[in-house]
Amino acid sequence: MESIDTLRQELLDAIAVHESPREVLKHARLRELFLSISTRDPSERAAFGKALNEFKNELETRIADREAELENSDVESIDVTAPWDITHGQVELLPTEQGSRHPLMRELERVIDIFTRMGFEAIESRQIDDDFHMFGSLNFPEDHPARDGYDTFRTEEGFIPPAHTSTMQHRILKAGKEKLEAGTPIAAVSYGRVFRNEDVDATHEHTFYQCEGVYVSTEATLGEMLGTLKRFFETYYSQQLKIKTQPAYFPFVEPGLEFAIEKPAALGGAPGEWLEMLGCGMIHPNVLSAAGIDPTKYRGFAWGGGIERLVMLKYGIEDLRHFESAKLSFLRKFA
Amino acid sequence: MIISLNWLKKYTDITMPVDELVTLIGSRLVEIEDVEYLGEKYRDVLIARVVECAAVEGSDHLNLTKIDDGGVAADVARDEHGYVQVVCGAPNVAAGMLVAWLPPGSTVPETFGTKEPFILGARELRGFISNGMIASARELALYDEHEGIIVVDKDAAPGTPFAEVYGLDDYLLNIENKSLTHRPDCFGVIGFAREVAAISGHAFKTPDWLTDVQPVITTTGAVEAPKVHIDDDQISDRYQAIVLHSHGQAGQTPLEIKTYLSRSGVRPISPIVDVTNYLMLLSGQPLHAFDYDKVLALNNGQGDIHVRLARSGETLKLLDGKTIDLHTTDIVIASGDTPIGLAGAMGGFDTEIDDTTNSVILESATFNLYRLRSTQMRHGIFSEAITRFTKGQPAELTAPVLAEAVQLMSKNAGLDASSTVAEAYPTPSDNIHITVEASAVNAALGTKFATSDIVELLGNAEFDASGAEEAIAIAVPYWRKDIHIAEDIYEEVGRLNGFDMIEPKLPVRDFSAVMPSDFEQLRTHMRTNLARAGANEVLTYTFVHGDTMKAALQNSDEAYRIVNSISPDLQYYRQSLTPSLLTHIHANIKAGYPHFALYEFNKFHTKRHDVTDEAVPKELDGLAFVITDSKAKGVAYYEAKRHLDFLLSTMGIEAVYEPLEEQGDYPVTMPFEPKRSARVWSKDRSRIGVIGEYKASVRRAFKLPEHTAGFEIAPQALLALTQQQGPSYSPSSRFPSVGRDICFQIPASVPYAQLMAAIPSSEADIVITVEPLDMYQPPETDLKNITVRLSFVSMNKTLVGAEVNELVGRVIETVTSHIDARII
Repeated sequence: MESIDTLRQELLDAIAVHESPREVLKHARLRELFLSISTRDPSERAAFGKALNEFKNELETRIADREAELENSDVESIDVTAPWDITHGQVELLPTEQGSRHPLMRELERVIDIFTRMGFEAIESRQIDDDFHMFGSLNFPEDHPARDGYDTFRTEEGFIPPAHTSTMQHRILKAGKEKLEAGTPIAAVSYGRVFRNEDVDATHEHTFYQCEGVYVSTEATLGEMLGTLKRFFETYYSQQLKIKTQPAYFPFVEPGLEFAIEKPAALGGAPGEWLEMLGCGMIHPNVLSAAGIDPTKYRGFAWGGGIERLVMLKYGIEDLRHFESAKLSFLRKFA
Repeated sequence: MIISLNWLKKYTDITMPVDELVTLIGSRLVEIEDVEYLGEKYRDVLIARVVECAAVEGSDHLNLTKIDDGGVAADVARDEHGYVQVVCGAPNVAAGMLVAWLPPGSTVPETFGTKEPFILGARELRGFISNGMIASARELALYDEHEGIIVVDKDAAPGTPFAEVYGLDDYLLNIENKSLTHRPDCFGVIGFAREVAAISGHAFKTPDWLTDVQPVITTTGAVEAPKVHIDDDQISDRYQAIVLHSHGQAGQTPLEIKTYLSRSGVRPISPIVDVTNYLMLLSGQPLHAFDYDKVLALNNGQGDIHVRLARSGETLKLLDGKTIDLHTTDIVIASGDTPIGLAGAMGGFDTEIDDTTNSVILESATFNLYRLRSTQMRHGIFSEAITRFTKGQPAELTAPVLAEAVQLMSKNAGLDASSTVAEAYPTPSDNIHITVEASAVNAALGTKFATSDIVELLGNAEFDASGAEEAIAIAVPYWRKDIHIAEDIYEEVGRLNGFDMIEPKLPVRDFSAVMPSDFEQLRTHMRTNLARAGANEVLTYTFVHGDTMKAALQNSDEAYRIVNSISPDLQYYRQSLTPSLLTHIHANIKAGYPHFALYEFNKFHTKRHDVTDEAVPKELDGLAFVITDSKAKGVAYYEAKRHLDFLLSTMGIEAVYEPLEEQGDYPVTMPFEPKRSARVWSKDRSRIGVIGEYKASVRRAFKLPEHTAGFEIAPQALLALTQQQGPSYSPSSRFPSVGRDICFQIPASVPYAQLMAAIPSSEADIVITVEPLDMYQPPETDLKNITVRLSFVSMNKTLVGAEVNELVGRVIETVTSHIDARII
């Protein structure tokens, strides 16, 4: 009976020179070997089947190598320094009118622009961080139920894709401490991508953008926080706005509030319609202490909100999933 | 959580309309998701007395009744006494009882608001006209009981609206639980009422039984109290239990209590269980009743209760009939050694209260909320009890609620306390005292409260606050364990008075100009210019599927792996941006876009780099660009290069392209085909990135057209380059420049750049610029013809023909002396 060994070298040699090496797998004698499994003595059937499979895997590997070799030998080198191809002539840029910037990035730039003009430094947030910056430094004790609300992803090593841009807060406070003690308030926003481990639908995304702000001085008050936020939204919407708040619980602030504005006329708002825009509050003394700032001398406020919401309200975008869809049919609406 | 407005009103006066109340609660306590008006359902339901009741002949269950509704219902047939005839199938109907009657024309509350509301009429049953119906609890949409009709257990005149007698002209407030995770007190009606009073500016008075933390309980003393032990101090702060025995009279839960249970979403079960649930809803303290005889039987007749962690391999059959495998972090209640309950979550099946229960052991306790939270998640138990326990009920609360339960058990459930209270309370909870300065409150909030304002606001919520000058001494009530520090008091004051009463003000600051960072400015510049060049900016996910990485020939072992994603598409942090863009090419072509470019600025991460000083992974910024044309022939590489050259030119950067050749195994370069790709350098040898076409296997895997190419570069490198170079201005000459077109023939193997490098950029004070015009490879040769326009300009004079000819000659001489070239 035909054995694997007698066929091996023949097939390997065939693969080495074949222009379509995969054809070798269709070799009649190889098929016969497979068909012969069922007719073998039961005592050796399993061992034979295993050996045959190993043989087939070996052939597959050689075929893949040969295919790569063929593919490679087909590839013609080009003169990478040339401005265009010798046979096809000059190339042009794509038509300007079809270009577009991403609407989220445009809006984020606008938000950063307003805050920097208001005197806040802008710092980009990290996309991978640790438990200390995400939770520990922000007065979230281990196992605290408030952690659950953040549905964080984790890596094998225990790193966290941040679920809020507040992951930068401790760094901002620490970096600003010296300036603060020299008499200059800490005023900064952090912005960027954040992540929540949840299913995606029209109103939920696991990936989205936030902007968070921090202000610390010797005399910061909750009234100043309301004034700062009100001024931001009034600038953003170019009109006077009414604001309202609602108590909320976030471990890193005390008191904590949800902040809403009366829906601006630009968005077709009518009196009595409110838009919840962000969470905010006075920075918890533990958060200041963790950054080495004396909470008996300094007070601060912080806030954070989503960017998608601003964009969706502005353009009437109906589905959150468009933003990361990379669909030209969506993107070119913002050309 | 659902809270009945009428139940709240039993504890505090509420006179404002419900919509105002909802707004007030929303702005000062918690969001109310929606409000249901209950009264609508019961508008037509009347109390009636059954005056006659006789079995219908030939029916095994129907009764013919005459009822007295006080003559209230309109348009209904009445006999000479004014009574109304109703046929009733309930086994418990009897003459003399007060019932809830649904007159003809009324809608059965159970079907109210459904797609098919059932409107009653007068219809014939076994030859008798039946007007409307006498209703069961289920038909009244109160609770799931339809074995018989509801018996009105309050004194009421026939004809009185049913809703009036039981307070069903009610609104149900659906509270957004999440924002009350730190407020266990608000998970009881009394605690919620206290808040409603205080935020409306009224003083609240908690019922005495709830403030008495050392109540005296009357007991028959018939049995000895069981022993109770908390085996591990970390798992429970306090465990109390008392034994009760039947006093001989069967109990009955008053209908009103049943309706409050059902309004709150809790099903009435039995008089004993109803007492525990009623008090839980009222006070926020869950209770559990075990059948004491069954508990004793599991431990050789010894009353010995242990609160302990479960042991490996232990199982417990719960009240719902499911048997669970206990985890060593679950807390259990054990009789002797046998688990009889999953603490805080659910009682055990083997000690369940049933119809034969004669003695009960009633538990009032607190458990470690973190442990319960993991128990809740692990076993998927989301009961009303565990919802409350996981907010952290105060240890003081167990005693008053236990005492009140004993009272109600006697009244409603036929049980009297027969033992003293058994208790384990290793470390009694301390009272919290805080002193704040009125000026500090005002400084934090930006307000102008007088000391007396603060004392009053806090007093309304039953904080014991006193102080006439600056300092205010505050004793925190035992149910507010969330108050620890002065800032907590600032919050209470601001909130109770309304944060919206605080005047918004801007900080007083100096005028320092702040700019977006240089990097942010550069990115904005690049983003804008790529859009100018006709490309479309995209954002794609930070996480990719392992298959995407494999298709891009990247090694996933070097990627940070996400271990808990609920989506299989989110397995790894991406190691470069290009693969993400490649996944979106095919779909856009399918959608009818044959020729386009996508680009993305974002971060990527790979384990190849060390962690930062903060011990977190290094973050790399990238710009990836892919251009594709499903119809073009040509060489895609040059289209990508054209766009990159343009982009770099907007920043004044000139790039050097060198064949990729040695690709290495760096993730960014892996998808690129070395023979048709280049490394991009700045002139001073800073690495900018990689540009090229993709390997055939990559094209196949991502279904890319053959004409596809792109680049991935490091914007941080460009930032450094733009920062190094100062402004580069040189004045233009006043004199005209003269151009000459020249065609060099060079071997096809000599790179274009080598020819360009050989052309001098000046001769003496003459500036020479070069612009390519044409490239051509004559058929059947290994030569190429490159035609360029040389432009000459002098700063000092107008060049004449002879001078230009001489210059051209010198250029040709220089070129031909450096490389193998000839002029044609």
